[in-house]
Amino acid sequence: MSEAAPVTPLRERAGQALQDTFLQQALTIATTKFIGLRREAFDDFPEGEALRDRARAIKEATLQHLDRHLEQLIDSVERGGGHVHYATTADEARRVVLDIAGRAGVRVVVKSKSMATEEIHLNDALEAAGITAVETDLGEYIIQLAHERPSHIIAPAIHKTKGQVAELFARELGRPTEPDPEVLTRIARAELREKFLIADMGISGANFGVADTGTIVLVTNEGNGRMVTSLPRVHVAVMGVEKVIPSMTDLAVFLAILAKSATGQKLSVYTSLVNGPRRGGELEGPEEFHLVLLDSGRIDQLAGPLREALACLRCGACLNVCPVYRQIGGHAYGYTYPGPIGILLTAMLNGPGSVTELAHASSLCGACADACPVRIDIPRMLIELRRDGVERRLPRWPERVVFGVLGRLLRRPALYRLAARVGRVLQRPFVRGGTIRRLPLFLGHWTRTRDLPPIAGRTFQERWARLAREDHP
Amino acid sequence: MTTRAEFLARIRTQMGRTPGRFTAEPSPRPERPRERFEVLRRELSERWQDNLQRFRHEFERVGGVFHRVDVAAAVPAAIARLAAERGARRVVAWHGEALGVDVAAPLLAEGLQASAAPATEVEAAERSRRRALAADADLGVTGVDLAIAETGTLILVSGAGRPRAASLLPPCHVAVFDRDALVASLLQAGLALEAWHDGAAPGTRGASINFITGPSRTADIELTLTRGVHGPREVHAVFVEQGLAPRRG
Amino acid sequence: MVTCLGDLFYPEVGEAIVRLLRRLGVAVDFPAGQTCCGLPLFNSGYHADAAAAARRTIALFEGAEAVVVPSGSCAWMVKHEYPGLMTDPAGRAAAERLAGRTHELSQFLVKRLGRRRFRSAVPGRLTYHDSCHLLRGLQEAESPRALLRDLAGAEFVDLPGADECCGFGGSFAVRLPEVSAAVLDKKLASVEATGADCVVACDAGCLMQMRGGLSRRRSRVRAVHLAEVLGEPR
Repeated sequence: MSEAAPVTPLRERAGQALQDTFLQQALTIATTKFIGLRREAFDDFPEGEALRDRARAIKEATLQHLDRHLEQLIDSVERGGGHVHYATTADEARRVVLDIAGRAGVRVVVKSKSMATEEIHLNDALEAAGITAVETDLGEYIIQLAHERPSHIIAPAIHKTKGQVAELFARELGRPTEPDPEVLTRIARAELREKFLIADMGISGANFGVADTGTIVLVTNEGNGRMVTSLPRVHVAVMGVEKVIPSMTDLAVFLAILAKSATGQKLSVYTSLVNGPRRGGELEGPEEFHLVLLDSGRIDQLAGPLREALACLRCGACLNVCPVYRQIGGHAYGYTYPGPIGILLTAMLNGPGSVTELAHASSLCGACADACPVRIDIPRMLIELRRDGVERRLPRWPERVVFGVLGRLLRRPALYRLAARVGRVLQRPFVRGGTIRRLPLFLGHWTRTRDLPPIAGRTFQERWARLAREDHP
Repeated sequence: MTTRAEFLARIRTQMGRTPGRFTAEPSPRPERPRERFEVLRRELSERWQDNLQRFRHEFERVGGVFHRVDVAAAVPAAIARLAAERGARRVVAWHGEALGVDVAAPLLAEGLQASAAPATEVEAAERSRRRALAADADLGVTGVDLAIAETGTLILVSGAGRPRAASLLPPCHVAVFDRDALVASLLQAGLALEAWHDGAAPGTRGASINFITGPSRTADIELTLTRGVHGPREVHAVFVEQGLAPRRG
Repeated sequence: MVTCLGDLFYPEVGEAIVRLLRRLGVAVDFPAGQTCCGLPLFNSGYHADAAAAARRTIALFEGAEAVVVPSGSCAWMVKHEYPGLMTDPAGRAAAERLAGRTHELSQFLVKRLGRRRFRSAVPGRLTYHDSCHLLRGLQEAESPRALLRDLAGAEFVDLPGADECCGFGGSFAVRLPEVSAAVLDKKLASVEATGADCVVACDAGCLMQMRGGLSRRRSRVRAVHLAEVLGEPR
């Protein structure tokens, strides 16, 4: 159990997001832009479909022999002079990192963007131990100053206006400034450059861990990934076990589709391959390199219904196309990972009880599965989560009653037809001008914003007798 | 704390509980990658003009600035010009043998504060001093180990005489290369990576390989694109038509 | 297969389909006792009940040469999910037989019958909204468009974002009604911007959602089923 459940119900959180005009605008602009960029990138890339299939196959093949590939990764890293640590739980991962930091006398940490470290709430643990941890990805830096969580997997501060960022910098850095992204970026560059140069430890995630060579791969745009892994004397990479891939040849396949899916770029600005600590003759590079392998619910899914979700590259493509995410943004989901894949990851990391509401934060439209570079069938797993929830009797009793009744009606045609006739009578007071504008109870959820057709005066089945005769006069 | 054995045992238990979804194989790997890569290089050397043209197109598309000089000896002058245009005085560079041309001495002669990285291991204090130099520099000069035409990407391998900071800390990065660096595609770069890692000893290769595709950028604030967030604001590629001296490392 | 929504709320669509098929020389039968394919139960996780509904439906249509369905979502349910819901080999075989013989309306017309040219029963400008299950579940974007483009007496315009969800999603529409309505607003804004008189859909769920929104906004745009637009064959 990693994360505390949100205190307000999903519907309320969603409602708040819908009222936030700036958020609505930002979401529309950002997601529409990302969708367009991704589409252009793949339109221009005929090999793309075959590479997506390849990527999916590599992930599946890797899971089928996960122990072997991880062993190879571990051996390769150790051969290269790195240390490997094993974290079964989020708590253990935090303790491992604190332990490394303690032994190395670390006081300041610089972090590059890592969903894995977000997931285990590492920053809180570092701060509690009196270590200053500075997020260096601009978006993460902004939300860290604002004491918020990321609202999108790859664009964490998408919900903030430049005015809000300027105010934030003024307040937290004591530097009044204008709401101009160029100016704000320069300020962040200067502030963070200082930190990069004095930090004792750099913490990163890992987009991939290449088993054959013991290489950790970071995909970034800003350069902070390079700084974090080259300047401080200790580098710690926290990596979910599912990120391992067998070889450099496999890496090329993923690199060919990852940035395109995320932002439409052919490649991100920096793809950094880290082969362990500094080698003889190098001017930069850490003296110590540590790889923390993170389980935290992943290993259980090898044999679980969410196994396919282990293929996720954390590209964010599914968020951008999801009609729900596009309306409510990341924070409304209430957990570290938002969007369609976020629901699955939340269930993986926090158990089925954490997604009783979230499993229904989807119209099952399937746009996510279409966009996913590794073809994860997210809707199928959402239905599976719902089925699992029903089996555990998680839905509240009114819902179970309604569906119980429905189930019975569908099996008994006479009852079904009776119910239709009863409905026709009961609806009479509500039908105005051939349509229904208001209904009581949960049916009001529909009519508050939409009209509803009445049950027809004569259903199709009731009309069939005459219709049948039309053909045989 | 979980041990390696415990961790892997847990994985094996879970793996044992389920068959795979469908038959799948990782990518087939080249058998003798270093040989294969040499063959590829020879093939590519015949089509270098096409690859260069494609590289230039993609490099400029991601915001890089392309330059061309005839001979290696013309490189320092090109750099000096770039420096003058920017009012830049301090230059850090890869060691001449790693670049395939000595730039530090000629730039010093032009009155710039230029230094080249040492070719051998130095002490911690010296490394620190060099890092501060790079942090203060206006311009960093590096070589290029591979240039991918498909994406406009420069691949730099770190090592002795090939500091990472030169392409990272100064606001302007100048990369010098010739036709030998060109490959057509990302998948070919994958072959190079296999070749470079093939065999026991890494040789003089450092622990960092960087793919650089344009200047540092972000769109984190209202999706407005800004450059030079942490890494360089500008990336220049100087192509040496007649080739560089054979490079070490 | 008339579908539950078709039977109860849009019987005229069912009638239009029957008459249309007869005009094309197809003999149409209607097995009595149809209720629902079970998709609402399936989507909300009540799979035992969904399986029971599936068994009934399979039995009802045993022996049918072809089953035509007005909704992409129901056709998808039968073709893609019925076999998996059957736990016994005989059931699964029967499900697969039915799956092979089931067609969504536009697919039946264009791919099975090879008929794509009709007169429009509705004048003016038409646009088309892809229902998610038809588009992504059944991989069908072309058949409805082929029919609409070839209509004599009507003009067809593309709908930007046609492939974006209308926000129905079954119980989603009442579980997260505000989100569903917001998604619908976006869809209807696109529809109205095309200047179309009608938006055509191949799913009763999408129809209920879009019609409900258009009616609430008192829009002059109508949401209609494909079957209501196809007039005389030509």
